[in-house]
Amino acid sequence: MSTTETVTSRTLKGKDLITIGIFSAIYFAINFIFMLMGGIHPILWIMMPGLIALFTGVPYMILASKVQKPGAVLILGLITALIYYVTGMFTVVILITFASACVLAEVVRWAAKYKSFTGNTISFAIFSVGMIGSPLPLWLFKDSFFAQISGQGISADYLSVLNSLANDGMLVVMVLAPVVLGIVGALIAKTLFRKHFAKAGIV
Amino acid sequence: MVDIRNVSFGYSHAKDTLKNIDLHIDAGECVLLCGRSGCGKTTVTKLVNGLIPHFTENGHLEGRVLVAGMEVAKTELYELSRRIGSVFQNPKSQFFNLDSDAELAFGLENIGASPAYMRKRLNATVQELKIERLTHRGIFSMSGGERQALAFGSVYAMNPDIYVLDEPTANLDGDSVAVLRRQLGEIKHQGKTILIAEHRLYFLTNIIDRAVYIENGEIVRIYSREEFLSLSDAQRIRMGLRTLRADALRATGLPAQNDGHVLEVSDLCCEIRGNCVFDHVNFSAGSGEIVGITGNNGVGKSTLMRCICGLAKEKSGSILFDGRRLTPKQRNRACFCVMQDVTHQLFSDSVWNECELSAGEEGGPEIEAVLRAFDLFEYRDAHPMALSGGQKQRLAIACGVLSGKKILVFDEPTSGLDYEHMMAVAGIIRELAQKDHIVLVVTHDMEFLNCVCDRTVALAFNGKEA
Amino acid sequence: MAEKGKRGTQELRLDPRTALLLLLFVTIVVFSHGSPYVEFALIAALLCLFFCCGLFKSGLKFILVFVFLLALQYYIFPVAPKIFADFFSILTFYTRKVFPCIMIGTFIVKTEPMRYLILAMRKWHFPQKLVIPLSVTLRYFPAIREEIVYIRDAMKLRRVTGAAKVEAYIVPLMFSAASTAEELSAAAVTRGIENPAPKTSVIELHFRMRDYICIICGLLFVVAALWLR
Repeated sequence: MSTTETVTSRTLKGKDLITIGIFSAIYFAINFIFMLMGGIHPILWIMMPGLIALFTGVPYMILASKVQKPGAVLILGLITALIYYVTGMFTVVILITFASACVLAEVVRWAAKYKSFTGNTISFAIFSVGMIGSPLPLWLFKDSFFAQISGQGISADYLSVLNSLANDGMLVVMVLAPVVLGIVGALIAKTLFRKHFAKAGIV
Repeated sequence: MVDIRNVSFGYSHAKDTLKNIDLHIDAGECVLLCGRSGCGKTTVTKLVNGLIPHFTENGHLEGRVLVAGMEVAKTELYELSRRIGSVFQNPKSQFFNLDSDAELAFGLENIGASPAYMRKRLNATVQELKIERLTHRGIFSMSGGERQALAFGSVYAMNPDIYVLDEPTANLDGDSVAVLRRQLGEIKHQGKTILIAEHRLYFLTNIIDRAVYIENGEIVRIYSREEFLSLSDAQRIRMGLRTLRADALRATGLPAQNDGHVLEVSDLCCEIRGNCVFDHVNFSAGSGEIVGITGNNGVGKSTLMRCICGLAKEKSGSILFDGRRLTPKQRNRACFCVMQDVTHQLFSDSVWNECELSAGEEGGPEIEAVLRAFDLFEYRDAHPMALSGGQKQRLAIACGVLSGKKILVFDEPTSGLDYEHMMAVAGIIRELAQKDHIVLVVTHDMEFLNCVCDRTVALAFNGKEA
Repeated sequence: MAEKGKRGTQELRLDPRTALLLLLFVTIVVFSHGSPYVEFALIAALLCLFFCCGLFKSGLKFILVFVFLLALQYYIFPVAPKIFADFFSILTFYTRKVFPCIMIGTFIVKTEPMRYLILAMRKWHFPQKLVIPLSVTLRYFPAIREEIVYIRDAMKLRRVTGAAKVEAYIVPLMFSAASTAEELSAAAVTRGIENPAPKTSVIELHFRMRDYICIICGLLFVVAALWLR
């Protein structure tokens, strides 16, 4: 008679990959909605990374809890980036910020040994900063950006509004928003965990 | 072919789900695993296809399982899957791809078979299982029965030696069950070994060689086919098993006649995306009546129910309550629907709060009474999603009762239920009718229909009343 | 994906690898030029591609949208109330800039079934650890939509108000996702998805003359764009 104890391995297995795929779909859907909303007004665009962070806390934290192995966040990021890329909506700048954010987030998770809520929260905040690559060109390439859009019938008033927004103060706000709102998003997730997901046993 | 030796297994260390299981299955045999809900038959199937131990965390397993010469605990799942094919009960979550051709080839591609071999197998699969109508289609456009037939086809294409099926007909209608029966006959004819855990027994009577009755995780008795078929109804009911015979529909079609509320569906026609789902549907139902709506998948039963509940707009015709025509929004307020997949309609964090959502915050004593009646009072602080399937269903029904709405619609309330739970639901529904609700039940479960419904409205193929 | 939209027929479709390469080229061109000539030429070339592959309706829609964008920028915004211009200027500018990317993206979605794109990635040796989750993500999008419809229906029959509504959407969605993950994985691993051996494919990919033509044209555009900076 033999006794077998099931052991959890450190590598990503079929179930993990499929779990990552499903929650990536949810993450992407929410991300996409806010991406579209960001096109409506400059303020929404600048706050987009923050708003996304606020609402994607739940799927991210559930994923982090279900797949406590290296690579989950990286793959989540890659999938998001790939889908955006294939549908023609990702620029090089976003790719760089997003990739670095994903890698850093993974490192944080690994350092926190995957189980700690604080660790996952920090990792989520960092991960969410990845989206700043979308409004970032406003500051990085300010001159060429303004040169390009002024040639396309945009009013001088609007340009001055944009100019006033594209200052250093707003840059700080833009970068900090996903961090702060990311923490809030993770806290929301924690409440929902306690109320629902952990209570029902799925995490 | 299958050798389970003195196996005990528990999902947690506290409790054993299976105790001292000894089972030996020869090649070419078809063995049925039956018993009440929760008896452990699904767990036995997982022993055979390797989900235990490779797919479960924190479980502990004692004993040995050998399948097709492989020791399950020591062989990787992908190796096991070459010889063991598995079909599960939920058609919505078994498919990996978006189109049916890719799904059929899925297993073969994972094995790394050559394109020539794959083409040969796929052609054979389509021909031998007669599933031409399933090819070249998007899976999201398929019905549940079609998806399940596709799942079977995908496993068949891999040509395993042994098929393990876990309640494959739980969500299927009569026609789809017949298709599955045919498919099982085909593989039995080819000499394959079949292990099937099921509640619904009537379609298996000619295929099984033996029946294993499991209770509380132990094998109580193994019957030969003759012994099993000669069980009397009384014995079968004591064992908690469903009927062994295909029941014919017995309810009649008399018109409603009473003096309570009346729901009238008059010349109703519904469309989805420009295609007519059904038209000229007429029937009425009164307080205290239980009307069964039958018909195969795709015929429009769900659309009809959604329309009555105000979730879909009618194209023409009308729905009248006590003589007054109701708009969709008014129908929302007048009707409650217990859906087939109850998880979409449970929103709260505890059973009690879920009931409060329907009854309002002052409904304390009423809620307690209903929960006690439904055998859920001890779970009042539990999270709805932590309940078993049958308990969730009873909770949804409880919410319907507490909502005070007069028109109650049940969509497949007995899919996957064992005999006792099915009878419990039937009892609840009869009580609801006695309390003057108008009850509509959409179901293809003949056994259930016959013991619960006063009348049936059968929707035939193109949505007209039969 | 391609099942739903109007689909290029078998004979008129490109190899998925060509389509993905074109996407790469278009992205490079879009972000490295400043001249409207390149922009118009690129859009015209893409329209040719659309029409050659049978996507007439989509092609026409894109023409209309582009004309509309130009009209907005040069005729409407200058005379419209400031609020209007404020809100939509950036959106219009950005949409126009990435217009070719959206075109080629739409082209891929409409003509290449998911199966072919996944196969292209496999041929390019994308790691399985990426391909499998990606396939699942794509497969789950329509499921999300189905779920939301069911949840919304259920909410209509019960009294769920205000802020509780958001919770009422998210919670069942997550539970459903978790249980689908569980069931789908069981169905996938019992059909050998974890097999480390290279996966084969029933369908085969071949480059044809049209693929070479498209790739060469794409390269020409890239060279032109970089040269004209």
